[in-house]
Amino acid sequence: MNAVAFLLGLLVLAYLGSILVGGRAIRGFGLASGAEYLVLGFVLGPQVLSVVGRSLVDSFQPVVLVGVSWVGLVLGVSYLRVAQRNVPVRRVFLGIALSAVVSACVSGAVFFGASTFTRLPRLEVIAFAAAAGIVCSETTRHSVRWVVERYGAAGPLSDLAADTARASALFAALSLSVVNAWLPGAALPAFSVLGRVGVSLGLGVVLGLTAALLLGREFRRDESWGILLGTCLLGTGAAARLNLSPLSATFAMGLTLAIVSPHRLDIKAMITPTEKPVLLPVVLLAGAYVNVRLPTALLVLVVVALVVKLIARVLCGTLLSVTSSAVRGAGSEFGLSMLSSGALGLAVALAFAVRHPGQVSDSVLLLAALGVLVGEWLGPGALRRALTRVGEIKTEPSPASAAPASAAPASLESRA
Amino acid sequence: MSGHGGSRKTLGTRAIQLFSLLVTFGVLYGVTRVAPELETHLGSVAAVGFLLLAGTLMSELLETIGLPHLSGYLLAGIIGGPHVLHLVDHHTVEELSPVNTLALSLIALAGGAELRVATLRSVARGLAWATLLQSTVVLVCVAGVFMSIASYLPFMHGMALKPLIGVSLLWGVLAVSRSPSACMGILSQTRAKGPVATFSLAFIMLSDVVVVILLATMMMLARPLINGSGSISLDDFSILGHEILSSVAVGVTLGLGLAIYLRLVGRQLLLVLLAIGFGLSESFTYIGVDSLLAFLAAGFVVTNLSDQGEKLLHSIEQTGSVVFVVFFATAGAHLDIPLLKQMGPVAVALCGSRALFTVIAGRISSRVAEDPAVLKRWAWSSLVSQAGLALGLSVVIEKAFPSFGAGFRSLAIAAVAINEMIGPILFKFALDRAGETDRHEPEARPSLVPPPVR
Repeated sequence: MNAVAFLLGLLVLAYLGSILVGGRAIRGFGLASGAEYLVLGFVLGPQVLSVVGRSLVDSFQPVVLVGVSWVGLVLGVSYLRVAQRNVPVRRVFLGIALSAVVSACVSGAVFFGASTFTRLPRLEVIAFAAAAGIVCSETTRHSVRWVVERYGAAGPLSDLAADTARASALFAALSLSVVNAWLPGAALPAFSVLGRVGVSLGLGVVLGLTAALLLGREFRRDESWGILLGTCLLGTGAAARLNLSPLSATFAMGLTLAIVSPHRLDIKAMITPTEKPVLLPVVLLAGAYVNVRLPTALLVLVVVALVVKLIARVLCGTLLSVTSSAVRGAGSEFGLSMLSSGALGLAVALAFAVRHPGQVSDSVLLLAALGVLVGEWLGPGALRRALTRVGEIKTEPSPASAAPASAAPASLESRA
Repeated sequence: MSGHGGSRKTLGTRAIQLFSLLVTFGVLYGVTRVAPELETHLGSVAAVGFLLLAGTLMSELLETIGLPHLSGYLLAGIIGGPHVLHLVDHHTVEELSPVNTLALSLIALAGGAELRVATLRSVARGLAWATLLQSTVVLVCVAGVFMSIASYLPFMHGMALKPLIGVSLLWGVLAVSRSPSACMGILSQTRAKGPVATFSLAFIMLSDVVVVILLATMMMLARPLINGSGSISLDDFSILGHEILSSVAVGVTLGLGLAIYLRLVGRQLLLVLLAIGFGLSESFTYIGVDSLLAFLAAGFVVTNLSDQGEKLLHSIEQTGSVVFVVFFATAGAHLDIPLLKQMGPVAVALCGSRALFTVIAGRISSRVAEDPAVLKRWAWSSLVSQAGLALGLSVVIEKAFPSFGAGFRSLAIAAVAINEMIGPILFKFALDRAGETDRHEPEARPSLVPPPVR
């Protein structure tokens, strides 16, 4: 397949993505994480059909980088709000803490396993452990939105799920900036790791402030696109050139805009609908990047990481059910529902693969891809059961949905 | 391109824009100095961001002294480009060529959509005379000037009279080419409405076709003169005829398809335009269709055979607000400043004579066609700009006549650089003086109110 045909294919996917977020009637269709496009990318990619060859995939690296960074910007801009509601500060900390706990558990397991059962150099072991922890730390907010919209759920647990899912993004974005700054090859050798983290986040903050200043007092939508796109691309390219984390830089930029710009809601309303059209081509490319031809030890470690993530999530849910009245009686289901991962996990894995190519990053990307599939299989269904248990959804789906509810996973019902 | 012509922004706003421009330059300057080595492909990402942001800001700042936005985009590209600060290198500029393809597609589509049959009828007489006189007077006179100063050109040394005439005729064709992109850029920024705007748009879009035919004719005539052997062959015309017909046919089909899509679906036009700009342009080139002409025909069909023209134009304007900035800023980065210095005096003489004969031909044709006074005065103003089309012609000539082609092309690049910088300024000045510029700011609205923090 040549580059133009592939590009057209990606544009068609983006078109589909825009339709998926375009109308209320069609919302809720497709899988929450976009896992089907991941599988499509994998099947079309070099591992299965080779319709899309490795060199072609590699030539689209700038597209991947820009897509990943744009996801970072969208996450940053929408970080502090769910729809029109502010995320309470304590929920932000809770979301970060949950991510950190899961990440630490996965990292610990991978570190131990990789040190003991593989002959990877120390640096690779640490990089693998850290990156695996980061990709497992996310809960996709799309999964929560999918279930909530489809079943018309409302209540404390729905809010908690949405808030913690949104808050989990900060941990991943920050941690990735640390990993990228720590890995060999980063520019600014005179700076410490912390200094380089400061540069990548500082770059985002400076560009965010610049964009906020330029957007000024009056909001002009057409002019705003140029400013947002320009600052995002400049931040992405600058961070990539320094071998720092573009995703972290654009996340910081988005968060800065969300905090200081008087047009934060306009900006959020403008760029949030672009997430899906940008994401689907990126997810497809991620699928094409996935490499399953890895040493057995690494494949086993990927599975171990997934199992540890699952256990850690369930334990976190159970712990939450003791401390939070919203979760009471639905702890394990709520914990399982937090397994859903998607855009950010894949974006982190892709960014890591671009920054540090090799078997370790291939393993991390495989882990992210499997995490998406497992999360899609278990997450939405578990959230629906948790919400049903605490009485926040009725047994019948909302009128917007035509398909009947059943015991099958919610994501599969949409196919009915 | 931000589409407004007025300059009502406060001093504070301008200060912020200047500060932001410095930040933009500073960020990329710092990064390129700290990490001069480029990762493959990734340099283009920062370059696009830089050109977009710096171009937008520079255009806003130059607006205060009455210069068109297009000059700001070009200047940002020149300063950031390989010959001044080297923030964007040669390789990256070449990598950004898909943006040019997209921009040219949008420009042609918009140009076609702006041409209404009723409008064309109203300026038909003037258009016909202008086409005839601009094509003949400018071609012949500029070719004469070229002949007279050929001794100053290293690549023309020792050339006999016949080849000299042949090369001069080819330069004359180059002088007749105009810049649809510059014209659309200025009209998009100023939102100008009136006889000068209408005439300019119609003339320049039609002159595309005329120039292509003229080039084929002159190459046919020049070949025996330059090579000394061979005869005049009509094969070029046959090929050209096929290309023009197939381009129009493909364009009409595309236009009908677009009109149906706009009417029945009418959504996600950004993605549709991207697919057309990137995908179809490449496909057209592959099947030997002139994409500029095809898109021109498509836009024309949408406007004149359906009621979807305004919707199409609005979408192109929205997409173009980003794409055109990068396109012109890249063109600025592409300008070869050292070459301009080297060929400067001769290029200035040729550009000056071209401008002079363009004005003379414009005045004569307006008088003969009994155009309104404003056209008699300013109709020539949009015809000075040159850009991609002229460079494209020079590439064709270089390939066809390798003996002098390289030098010819270098001179063309230098001349186009001058016309590219001066032309848009003249056109905007003329539109301002003719009172056709829209001085209203685009609508701003109060921002959404954030909910109280819990």
